[in-house]
Amino acid sequence: MSTDAPSLPDPQTLFEEAPCGLVVTKEDGTILRANLTFSHWIGFSQPELCGKRFQELLTMGGRIFHQTHWAPLMQMQGSVAEVKLDLVHRDKRTVTMLLNGVRREHASGSFYELALFGTTDRDKYERELVKARKVAEDLLREKTATETALQNAQDELKSAYEIAQRRASFAEQMVAIVSHDLKNPLTAIKMASDILARGERTAKETRMLGHISQSADRAERMIADLLDFTLAKVGSGIAISPSTVDLHKVVSQSVGELRIAFPKATLLHNAIGAGRAYLDADRVQQIIGNLVANSVAYGDLQQPITITSRQEDDEASVSVHNQGPVIPQSLKAILFEPMTRGTETDSDARSVGLGLFIVREIAKAHEGHVSVDSSTGSGTTFDVHFPAIDADRE
Amino acid sequence: MDLQHRNNVKVMGDGPATLIFSHGFGCDQTMWRYLVDHFTGRFKVVLYDLVGAGQSNLGAYDKTKYDALAGYAQDLGEIIEQFASGPVILVGHSVSAMIGALTDRQVPGRIAAHVMIGPSPCYIDSNDYVGGFKLEDIHSLLDTLDSNYLGWSSTMAPVIMGAPGQPALGEELTNSFCRTEPEIAKQFARVTFMSDNRKDVTGLTTPTLILQSTDDLIAPVVVGEYLHAVLPNSTLCLVANVGHCPHMSAPSACSEAMDSFLSPWVRTHVD
Repeated sequence: MSTDAPSLPDPQTLFEEAPCGLVVTKEDGTILRANLTFSHWIGFSQPELCGKRFQELLTMGGRIFHQTHWAPLMQMQGSVAEVKLDLVHRDKRTVTMLLNGVRREHASGSFYELALFGTTDRDKYERELVKARKVAEDLLREKTATETALQNAQDELKSAYEIAQRRASFAEQMVAIVSHDLKNPLTAIKMASDILARGERTAKETRMLGHISQSADRAERMIADLLDFTLAKVGSGIAISPSTVDLHKVVSQSVGELRIAFPKATLLHNAIGAGRAYLDADRVQQIIGNLVANSVAYGDLQQPITITSRQEDDEASVSVHNQGPVIPQSLKAILFEPMTRGTETDSDARSVGLGLFIVREIAKAHEGHVSVDSSTGSGTTFDVHFPAIDADRE
Repeated sequence: MDLQHRNNVKVMGDGPATLIFSHGFGCDQTMWRYLVDHFTGRFKVVLYDLVGAGQSNLGAYDKTKYDALAGYAQDLGEIIEQFASGPVILVGHSVSAMIGALTDRQVPGRIAAHVMIGPSPCYIDSNDYVGGFKLEDIHSLLDTLDSNYLGWSSTMAPVIMGAPGQPALGEELTNSFCRTEPEIAKQFARVTFMSDNRKDVTGLTTPTLILQSTDDLIAPVVVGEYLHAVLPNSTLCLVANVGHCPHMSAPSACSEAMDSFLSPWVRTHVD
């Protein structure tokens, strides 16, 4: 075992074969000395490097960068650290290096001492980072743009909604005013014809007065329907004011009135269950009225029309059944849409085609629904269901 | 708007005329430190940082305004308005020489003289004009700026060990000198190196001293000669210097040339 300390390589070898490029230049960049490592990395021999300007080894971008940035920095702060530079190898490929440099004053003048490190992998990594950052920034921009677009769309939607609201409210008001103004002359017509009917009249006069009265009634129904239609279609919806009622009583009363209105038809009333329900009685009567009017118009008057009021398991319903021609499938799909009519009959009961639409809207206002069943043999049944009574409402 | 804050304006010295120093692409007003002391005894001296550089207010950086040198020229005009008194002599390095020429066109008659250090009205060669660069060279620079992105975001710090016998550059200057926001640096590089101000300088009659380094990659001698030819009242002065910053690497040669050019504006002592 030797006691001698292991001998270090001499300083010359340490300089030449250091694990980094070492270069000494004059202040103007002229290379005075470059070590073997740097010579190998850049592909020029040491004699070729001496006398060359260091900046001549850079890419053009690197040279401008040198002139505008790190040369003034070396001058001002005497050193730079970790400046990344692209150098051009003898075979023209680019070699990326990190540079540390100091300006050192020696007896013979100032020199720039440069240490260079290969940094190809780190450079790749940094470029990836820069790329990733750019992608992130692009995404952020995109997101911001999307948010702006969304905001704009929401604003547009809001203003469109406001316009629609204004129009709806205008339409509602207009129809309300028109209906109201139409009702007054109708009332006058009806009163006048009633008074005339009280006196002695010829058969012809009596018949004509009957026509006047019926037509006025019909016009009144149409106005009411139009008002409901407008409320449901463009306005705030058909309004209801429900209260706890006896459904059977309400329907029975309605059937009684309808027997007078449609003397040619046979109306039967079935009451099933207890009958207590939370409903708008006037609107339920309107439903019955519309459905019966339809049955009279389209059904077979030789057969009875059956009106059923039902109240079971907290659910209330009314249905109207008639024997008559089957409703065609094509018509079923649009049956409840406004302005839909069945076969072109010329009945006085016929309205403007809003009856079923209004039935559906009234059911909706009660949070209920309407359905129809029509088949050969069993006839046609319209069924309106109202949901369970809500205890809170009582 | 607070110009002092926006452009980090420093006013010093005293004299009948005002020298305004405007730095070039890359650094900030600190680069004038070897030259300024020479003049403060005879002139009012104004130093400032271009918006986006040094310790200017980065919040004032408006991508649209500074997408052309005219934006910087407008700022310089405002600085003259607020801080200068007496005849105004602009000392502009590199791109700032052109910013000065544009300001001169914006406020005719307000600028008494220009000292242009390493100026170039157009960096890219075209037809019979030699600017010294090809378009791909400028793209290579932009790529270099890109690849130094991480270095840019912080500082180009000095090596930790430092170097013996270094000029006493205060820490606060070391930390800001030559630092630029990467995005601003890129835009400024593009605006600078893609600019073509030949029409703006041609026929400009304001007395102009062109300080031309004998060996300057950014502004070659032919460019200095071109400017001398198109500026009717210009003096071309060659300074023996390698590099683009003679005011840093050869300050006494610069100040000597400036002294004789500036003599008409110096107060003459009548004892």
